Amino acid sequence: MRTNSISNRYRLGCICLLFFLVFPSVSHAIPAFARQYQTSCATCHSDFPKLNDFGKAFKDAGFKFPTDDEGFLKVPPVLLGAPAQKDLFPKAIWPGTIPGMPPIGLRMNTFFQKTSGNRGKFDALVPPGTVAPFIPKTDFSTGLFSIFTAGNFGSDIAFWVDSDFNVGGDNTAGGLGDGYLKFVNIGRLLKMKKDSLSLRVGRFELDLPFSQARNINISGYDIFDQANLGNINPAFTQKNVNNQLTMADAMNGIEFSGGHQYGGYHYSIAFIDQNTSGLNQASNNSDFVPSPAGFASDSNFKDIYARVSYRFNLERDPASRNAVQAAGASGPRDHTYINLGSYYFYGRSVQRFSGETLLGDPAVLTVREPFYRAGGDFSVNYRALNVYGLFMYGHDVNQLPIDSTGTPVPLPLDPATPTATGFLHGQPATFTGGFVQADYLIHPWLMAIMRWDAVNSGEDKLNSLAGAAPLTFHTTRNRFTPGIQFLIHANIKASFEYQFRPQQSVTIITNPITGLPSSIEPFRTNTAVVALEWVY
Amino acid sequence: MKTKYVLLVSVLALVTAQMSFAGSLKGKVAPGKSVVYLESAAPVPVTTDKPVTMDQKGLSFQPHVMVIQLGTTVEFLNSDKVQHNVFWPSISGDKKKTHNMGTWPQGQKKAFKFNDPGVVTLLCNVHPEMAGYIIVSPTPYFAETDANGAYSIANVPDGQYTVNAWHEGKKISSKKITVTGDTSADFTLQ
Repeated sequence: MRTNSISNRYRLGCICLLFFLVFPSVSHAIPAFARQYQTSCATCHSDFPKLNDFGKAFKDAGFKFPTDDEGFLKVPPVLLGAPAQKDLFPKAIWPGTIPGMPPIGLRMNTFFQKTSGNRGKFDALVPPGTVAPFIPKTDFSTGLFSIFTAGNFGSDIAFWVDSDFNVGGDNTAGGLGDGYLKFVNIGRLLKMKKDSLSLRVGRFELDLPFSQARNINISGYDIFDQANLGNINPAFTQKNVNNQLTMADAMNGIEFSGGHQYGGYHYSIAFIDQNTSGLNQASNNSDFVPSPAGFASDSNFKDIYARVSYRFNLERDPASRNAVQAAGASGPRDHTYINLGSYYFYGRSVQRFSGETLLGDPAVLTVREPFYRAGGDFSVNYRALNVYGLFMYGHDVNQLPIDSTGTPVPLPLDPATPTATGFLHGQPATFTGGFVQADYLIHPWLMAIMRWDAVNSGEDKLNSLAGAAPLTFHTTRNRFTPGIQFLIHANIKASFEYQFRPQQSVTIITNPITGLPSSIEPFRTNTAVVALEWVY
Repeated sequence: MKTKYVLLVSVLALVTAQMSFAGSLKGKVAPGKSVVYLESAAPVPVTTDKPVTMDQKGLSFQPHVMVIQLGTTVEFLNSDKVQHNVFWPSISGDKKKTHNMGTWPQGQKKAFKFNDPGVVTLLCNVHPEMAGYIIVSPTPYFAETDANGAYSIANVPDGQYTVNAWHEGKKISSKKITVTGDTSADFTLQ
């Protein structure tokens, strides 16, 4: 038996894993709208930031009431030009509006977490003579403080910007979330049916079936944070895949969309910058080719994301079925519905290596590895119970480096390995996964949650055996996360989540039969997290 | 001549009787914009059969406060282009009298006849910020005060009553009074 090689990468990986599992993804509710319309958060949200049917219609309409918006605005917008200026166009600027008050919302959260006793086992991973980071049994920790603004500029032009000022108490770790303009219902210019075509431009979360940025859970969905890194463990068949893109990433580009989220069809298709190498736009600049804000793409190819869905509202009465909200016996409510959808993401991951030509001249070798993410999703809602889930299949073409003799070059490439001269198709790197979640709104202020996440990636397991990733004991990582959430007020939420984490290991042996590395003595590092979150 | 004399005496008797058996109740309630209504031990017949309208418009109940006599029918109108609901969790704290009116589209009404006296807090279950009030008075003797709190209820028959003063967010205040001619009752609501 040999203990695994102790590595800082293990330690970093474990810390990263804990971070992503414990701390929440960014989520938002919009107090700015509550102020402008002088209405409760509950008008659009059931357990913020989860949108109810009216909130979905409000978002679809470009952050406006679906009909008669002016009649509901308690703070009239400021005219940036009299409506009659339209008659003078093009000799006058087309008149627009800005919200009558700064449409600013702020958000803060804070946590208390209790981690199970196994947390100390990761100490075995640090190199001799160094001290492992101390993971306390219990901990009060600050979350993030963020600002978000959203609204409508008139002429059906909506806007959204959100940014984190502070993350984890540090004012340097924040960043821009989404920042976009949405030209709602531009199809009217082409005499298309109302709401059949809108255009979004800027930086945005993809039109995922279930938002990672605006989900109600303390921890995000594992599958949306799944990158696809090919196995680099030399004991197994290696894969030259280094695709760091995750579906939760904010993307830069344009998106066409149409239909409604609260009933009937919905579609979107986005063309976005490719960034599979984890490129930092701000630092990716050239003194010789100046750019106002750096370059965000790592290739010329634009990735494509498409989604289609159809929601069947199940009310018998057609008027109720087609309305924004269903007409219940005791008042309007979310529809009883079945929503089915599918999505597809296509890109061409690019890697560049120092190599040489077949003639022996030094060259930068560029390898393009097409990849896709595809899957389906469902959501079923019956009164206060909403059950939903998603499946994803990830597939990356694997181009293995070869030397001038056609022999595969061991990974990772470094000066000690033979110089690569070309690439050869290998076995693709794939993963599957998804989640199923049930939300039961016991009272308007009390939500019970049960969730199961699973990610099945042989690459992740092999990489962990090579010390290049957080240790995974199984190829499939299952996580059960029951939770409960209380709305103290419509804008203050207390959440509890217990994370039954996947099995991990810090002990690796060489299997005497196969001669391959294998992890043993699995354990779980579960965490109970309480979060307080408020928006105002 | 004799007939005329009898008629004159009768009229005078009636006027005198009216003057001696009906007075008024005046006073002041702090804060202003409150409601004052009288309860009587003796049954008082319903004097109105005309329905009144409570509107839902611009995400608010209009009027915000309405006083009606027991037995009055209120028509709840939805003037908004969003769906609304009307329900009340109790009448004067009696949760057995809760009622939910359901859902109806813009421009339509739903009627309800109030046969229980008390304070009815109207709510909408999709817009929690919305609230309205219907004060169901068991007698036709009620008034809404002005902004300064002044009120006047005319033609109150002499007798013993309980005067109630109500204001949104304050505890209802009650006093037993005997109305004889012009009577006054002031309230400071906490």
